[in-house]
Amino acid sequence: MPAFARRGERRFALALFLPAFLLLVATTTLPLVYLVWSSTQRMDLSMPWMSGFAGLENYAQLGGDARFWSSLWLTFVYTGATVVLQVAIGLGLALLVLQIRFAQGVLRIGAILPIVLAPVVAGLFWRSLVLAPDFGIMDFITRALGLGSYNWLGDPQLALVSVIAIHTWQWTPFAFLVLLASLAALPPDLYEAARLDRAGPWQRFRHITLPMIRPAIVIVVILRMVTALSAFAAIFAATGGGPGSATEILNLYAYRLSFTELNIGYGSAVATVLLFLTLSVAFLLFALRRAR
Amino acid sequence: MIRRATLLVLSLLIVLVWVFPVAWGLLTSFKTERDVLAYPPQVVFEPTLVNYQDVFVGGASIVPNLVSSLVVSGFTTALTMLFAIPAAYALARLDLPWKRAGGFWVLATQMLPPVGLVIPYFLLLRQVGWTDTYQGLVLVYLTFALPFAIWLLVSYFEEIPREMEEAALLDRAGRLRTLWHVILPQAKGGIAVTIIFVFLNSWNEFLFAVVLGGNTVRPVTVAMFNFISLEQTQWGRLAAAAMVGMAPVIILGLLAQKHIVKGLTVGAVKGGGRR
Repeated sequence: MPAFARRGERRFALALFLPAFLLLVATTTLPLVYLVWSSTQRMDLSMPWMSGFAGLENYAQLGGDARFWSSLWLTFVYTGATVVLQVAIGLGLALLVLQIRFAQGVLRIGAILPIVLAPVVAGLFWRSLVLAPDFGIMDFITRALGLGSYNWLGDPQLALVSVIAIHTWQWTPFAFLVLLASLAALPPDLYEAARLDRAGPWQRFRHITLPMIRPAIVIVVILRMVTALSAFAAIFAATGGGPGSATEILNLYAYRLSFTELNIGYGSAVATVLLFLTLSVAFLLFALRRAR
Repeated sequence: MIRRATLLVLSLLIVLVWVFPVAWGLLTSFKTERDVLAYPPQVVFEPTLVNYQDVFVGGASIVPNLVSSLVVSGFTTALTMLFAIPAAYALARLDLPWKRAGGFWVLATQMLPPVGLVIPYFLLLRQVGWTDTYQGLVLVYLTFALPFAIWLLVSYFEEIPREMEEAALLDRAGRLRTLWHVILPQAKGGIAVTIIFVFLNSWNEFLFAVVLGGNTVRPVTVAMFNFISLEQTQWGRLAAAAMVGMAPVIILGLLAQKHIVKGLTVGAVKGGGRR
């Protein structure tokens, strides 16, 4: 391509890309800069006369805030548990139905429902129809099985289990669909060779399937981490972060600090911590993209 | 044979688990409050339309909320496509300076935790008087819709054979005309899928809507909470509202069913022939 044409293309490319780029800078980057700035402010809407520059005071306060550390821990537990469960169940399911076309079809359609549902509705459905203590289905099942009655969203530990279950319910179909797609794309002759070599099913999985679909698993893990790290609506609807702060992951804590307790400066500091946590996951993803 | 049957039953069970909460919600939406609270839970009952009547024309009508959702999601989708299509084309096909950095940056904005954005927007929109306005909410929705749409479109643009546009350019069709007359018709399917997903994500959004909306702009995801109060929850009406509110996304999801894997892994998988 001649030099003038290349220059022309570059100019054209910039003209197409810049409007979206500038809009994104204005709508995401600038507000985030503002977030970091407000995290250095004493900004309590219930005590506006106290407002002013606080430096790193909010961050220093985080160090001694037991609720923050418990919330950070819950974020790790929530993210870790949901991601592991989704990948394990999704992969297991995909392997199970790989050979059966009809079952695949049924599962593919069934998988759509949880995925397209608004998380807030998923949280409400589970809260009201499944986990409610007096008339919920879960209670009916455990009682029918003679396991007794449980307060799924009222007991601190069970509440955490419940919100993890809701998230897993909603997003396992995603892991299933992606992993099934990548399993279905594997060349069948690989298995023929392995079968001739008398490799057992476990060996075939361990030494052929798993290495081949590792890239897909990595993608699923990272995308699921990002979703789990920004989870809000389902927990908000199911438990509101409670009982107490039993299901209060960082998102919920930053929300409650800012909009329930109106302590926006401190809430900004918590949100900033979360921001950097998420950005490091994004960097991880990009490093992997580049590696391939 | 037995193994196949077991697998079939097992997968049907899983589908049951996936479908169950929604199916049960559907049943509940036809129950009177008394039937909802009955123990053991009732599968056979006398169905009533009173919940739907209330949700549509009664005092608890969510029709204004459906309108809010429609306006916010519609404008978000239109604006997003207007900016995303050219940007995605530049990223996918043209010699864009700093392409890698630009691409990463768009991808990173897609992953931002919404709670980190809702706090500054709460302060900023209050200053300009844009809380509880359509323009305010649409502006905020662009933060997740635009990067998502750009990346999804990139993967579709990469699939179009290069020869098409090269031929058009040799014919001395201008670059803009090539984009308009050659690329866009080719990417029609991908654009339609992107529109569906952007609309779906905007429709389902909750956090921005609950913090930055209000009495004038109150999308249907927020309106569900109208039926929950400290004294009592109107389960039947809540279920009916949820059914009505989610019907559009369920239909859209089924329409875009074949493309859902792509829509979900956007940005993570390099598009097109390069696997």
